[in-house]
Amino acid sequence: MTCDTSSSGCDLDILDSLSDDSILEISENWNGFCASSESLLKGSDGDESSLNAEFVMRAENLCKHGLASLVEQHLFRSIEEIFERNGARRFWSYFEPYSNFAPSETNKDPILEEEIQQVICKALEEISSQKQFQEKCLSLLAHALQSYEEDKLQEKANPDSIRDYLFSKYQLIVSSVLLTSLPHHFPGILHWYFKGRLEELSTIAAVNSEDEDELGMNDKMDLDEKTKLPYKCGDMDSDINQKYAVFSENNKLVKNIGMVVRNLRNIGFTSMAEDAYASAIFFLLKDKVHDLAGDDYRSSVLESIKAWIQAVPLQFLRALLDYLGDFTSCDGPSSGLKSPLASHPSLCYSGTGIPSEGLVRWQLRLEYYAYETLQDLRIAKLFEIIVDYPDSAPAIEDLKQCLEYTGQHSKLVDSFISSLRYRLLTAGASTNDILHQYVSTIKALRTIDPAGVFLEAVGEPIREYLRGRKDTIKCIVTMLTDGTGGNPNGPGSSGDSLLEELNRDEESQENTIVDDDINTDDKQAWINAQNWEPDPVEADPSKGSRYRRKVDILGMIVGIIGSKDQLVNEYRVMLAEKLLNKSDYDIDAEIRTLELLKIHFGESSMQKCEIMLNDLIDSKRTNTNIKATIKHQAQPEQRDLDVSLDNLNATIISSNFWPPIQDEAVNLPEPVEQLLTDYAKRYTEIKTPRKLIWKKNLGSVKLELQFEDRAMQFNVTPLHASIIMQFQDQKKWTSKDLAAAVGVPVDVLNRRINFWISKGVLVESMGADSADHAFTLVETMNDTSKSGTIDGGCEELLAGDEDGERSVASVEDQLQKEMTVYEKFISGMLTNFGSMALDRIHNTLKMFCIADPTYDKSLQQLQSFLSGLVAEEKLEFRDGMYFLKK
Amino acid sequence: MATMNSGNNSNTPATAQVAMPSQKQTVSTAKTVDTQSVLKRLQSELMALMMSGDSGISAFPEEDNIFCWKGTISGSKDTVFEGTEYKLSLSFPADYPFKPPKVKFETGCFHPNVDVYGNICLDILQDKWSSAYDVRTILISIQSLLGEPNISSPLNTQAAALWCNQEEYRKMVEKLYKPSV
Repeated sequence: MTCDTSSSGCDLDILDSLSDDSILEISENWNGFCASSESLLKGSDGDESSLNAEFVMRAENLCKHGLASLVEQHLFRSIEEIFERNGARRFWSYFEPYSNFAPSETNKDPILEEEIQQVICKALEEISSQKQFQEKCLSLLAHALQSYEEDKLQEKANPDSIRDYLFSKYQLIVSSVLLTSLPHHFPGILHWYFKGRLEELSTIAAVNSEDEDELGMNDKMDLDEKTKLPYKCGDMDSDINQKYAVFSENNKLVKNIGMVVRNLRNIGFTSMAEDAYASAIFFLLKDKVHDLAGDDYRSSVLESIKAWIQAVPLQFLRALLDYLGDFTSCDGPSSGLKSPLASHPSLCYSGTGIPSEGLVRWQLRLEYYAYETLQDLRIAKLFEIIVDYPDSAPAIEDLKQCLEYTGQHSKLVDSFISSLRYRLLTAGASTNDILHQYVSTIKALRTIDPAGVFLEAVGEPIREYLRGRKDTIKCIVTMLTDGTGGNPNGPGSSGDSLLEELNRDEESQENTIVDDDINTDDKQAWINAQNWEPDPVEADPSKGSRYRRKVDILGMIVGIIGSKDQLVNEYRVMLAEKLLNKSDYDIDAEIRTLELLKIHFGESSMQKCEIMLNDLIDSKRTNTNIKATIKHQAQPEQRDLDVSLDNLNATIISSNFWPPIQDEAVNLPEPVEQLLTDYAKRYTEIKTPRKLIWKKNLGSVKLELQFEDRAMQFNVTPLHASIIMQFQDQKKWTSKDLAAAVGVPVDVLNRRINFWISKGVLVESMGADSADHAFTLVETMNDTSKSGTIDGGCEELLAGDEDGERSVASVEDQLQKEMTVYEKFISGMLTNFGSMALDRIHNTLKMFCIADPTYDKSLQQLQSFLSGLVAEEKLEFRDGMYFLKK
Repeated sequence: MATMNSGNNSNTPATAQVAMPSQKQTVSTAKTVDTQSVLKRLQSELMALMMSGDSGISAFPEEDNIFCWKGTISGSKDTVFEGTEYKLSLSFPADYPFKPPKVKFETGCFHPNVDVYGNICLDILQDKWSSAYDVRTILISIQSLLGEPNISSPLNTQAAALWCNQEEYRKMVEKLYKPSV
């Protein structure tokens, strides 16, 4: 023995006092102790009790000579050696075949799974039994040491202190031996094992709950058949117990797992085991969340996820903790001998008891994890969710709850903005779609965050983008005022205009939200102050406080454009177009829209529109009056035309209040011309000194064409009507002659006549001159088919034609016109004053450019306009002054 | 043979605003004009002038007083005044347009009908004034006066005397021309 020389060498005083006898005794005892401990540890077949007795005796003797520490050290060393050689090596060799096994493998091999499961159990079992055996040896030593202590001190020593000391030292040795030789794939295998077991468990649970349902169904059917037997009454109570029963039935499975966990703990792998089953649970939970949440946004999944957490992982953990708890509570030398399969009274399952602290902690952990997973899932799909917003409200509600827990709003903002940029704010998306998505976003985010802080952040890129689009204003106005017209196929078109919806919305909001205006009394102010909550940390401090930021959808839409005036102006143009194309005087819908707009934009800004509508109402009255005068005075002369004033309805407009109207000369057929003059004359009689100026190109004509074999009805513009009218007397025209007769340029005629050609009423043929086409009236259908006119494309042709022809100058045209006027004014003032600063130009324009169009631009707008002129080299800019470029 | 039944013909006329005061009203009806209508008149004249785009003539109200305008006239091509530019001041009376505005040259102008103080002798600015004239016609008249002076009643006799010798006159114009910066 090498160690005893060194250790005895230290104790020189004792050495001196030793007699030869005692040296002999010690060496004899030592040799005996070594031999007995070796055979003990090897577990040789000999008489166990005598071996034990000898071991204890030798150890005691050695202790008496003060060699207790030596004895202890020797035993630990041999134990370590043996454990390393036999236990650890063998334990790891079990897992050797699976070293290449990847835990993330998706294709599940049930045989392999089964195998691993068994291997784990077996290996753990074996190493545990080895450990138990060695612990038994240790306890013998403990016994020896204890009796020595008792002898020495003549009193009863605390048996646990020695034992605890020895066992903890042993535990340390075991785990360090195992950990130093830990193969890297072992945690993976463990994780995989737990995952497999949990999955098994959850499927069992699912099957059971299904069974339960089925059972319930059967019960009900039974009930019907058996006409309610009294013993069925207890069903409700048993329902709850049944849930627990699911797990008690699976007790064996849980216990198997519990045993594995316990064995792992035993060999010092407590944290590794915990990691493994925690990650397996989280993995399962994530799968479950993904499975439940999926791509369906029409239902709330949060509750079912919570229920599932209660039903599966928590039950499992409860069972496991109970099991382990039972185990640890009676942890002692005997615990190793206790059969792991011994049944535990599972009081907790059916117990009403308060869940243990560990379980509560687990529940919180799991729920947070579930919230986070669901939140990430929803945030990633937020774009789709908002696309079907009103339907996906449950998903939004879920997300809101998740965010309340996790507080990761900024994640939402970032992710949503990037998906917006990627998917919505591209050239391919129509402005209408973008606007609809914008409105949905506002509505959806309003649910999540009533303060509108995140909305502010998310909305900005959309607004920025929309400002760059030319048709934004037009689309907004259409969307606001026209429910069906704007985007008939688009999402969210309920046939109701957005304005109506906003109105309803506002009313309901007003009912719930206490308006904190200036008039609130002190008490109310105090309440408000008490209710104050700080803005979320993500709030941009430059954007004002939360109470000034009440979410106002219309306001946010108008915010895209910048000013409501532009919006109102666009609406006026659209209204004019709509009113001019009306053949009756029915404007109820328009009046309603106007009233709604008035609520939002104020009376004064809608004044012009109101006058336009009043014109229509007046026109109706005047029209009736004029018709009445005709009936009064009997027709003095019999006219030779079949058109009477009855067929004419005039719309009389006060052109000052209407947007500029396109004027186009057209010669109307003589009878119609006559009719108009007649009408104007009567108007003058009634309304002296006013008189009518006809805009002959506007309006619509309903006409019927009678051919030899058919009759056709059309609703066309006056120009189209007068073109076809020319064919009444003359069946063939050249384009030049026809243009002269109708009074329009040839190119306009050629464009318009396409309508009749596409309808198969006229055919076009090359005239003598290549630029001069000839048009012939098609009298019978037979001719049509012969000449092979296309019928299919006519509608599109017409639509395309109609597109380019508007009765009212569009807002862009008006803007263009305004800009020209400003430019002329600016060049006028610079001619006379030489050079001017930006401020002075701005003020001068404000002062003198007050007629139509009024100068209403901001200083910034003017500056950018001037920069444009400088870029066009019309102006120069030096030292803060603008000059005319010479 | 095709026959046509013209059906419901709805056309859209606009009423003429009869109430608009005619710009060719005679002086006799006037006298009692309020400032408002003068302002309006000057406004619309400014707009008309700005939109007319006549080359070589321009005028614009000063700072904050629409009754005081600054004008600019450049000498017409093929006259001795070609390449020169003259500043004018126009001040409108309160009863404009029934009285003519006072028009003066701000830039010194060597011309038979303009004196050293810049006063202009032009019939339409005195007895021949009519409310039908406006800023634009005044400026055009002055521009054409530059090329076609009235030698018979000169304010600047030296210029009138020199007028027959166009070459010398041109030299004189160039010598005396001090363009405003």
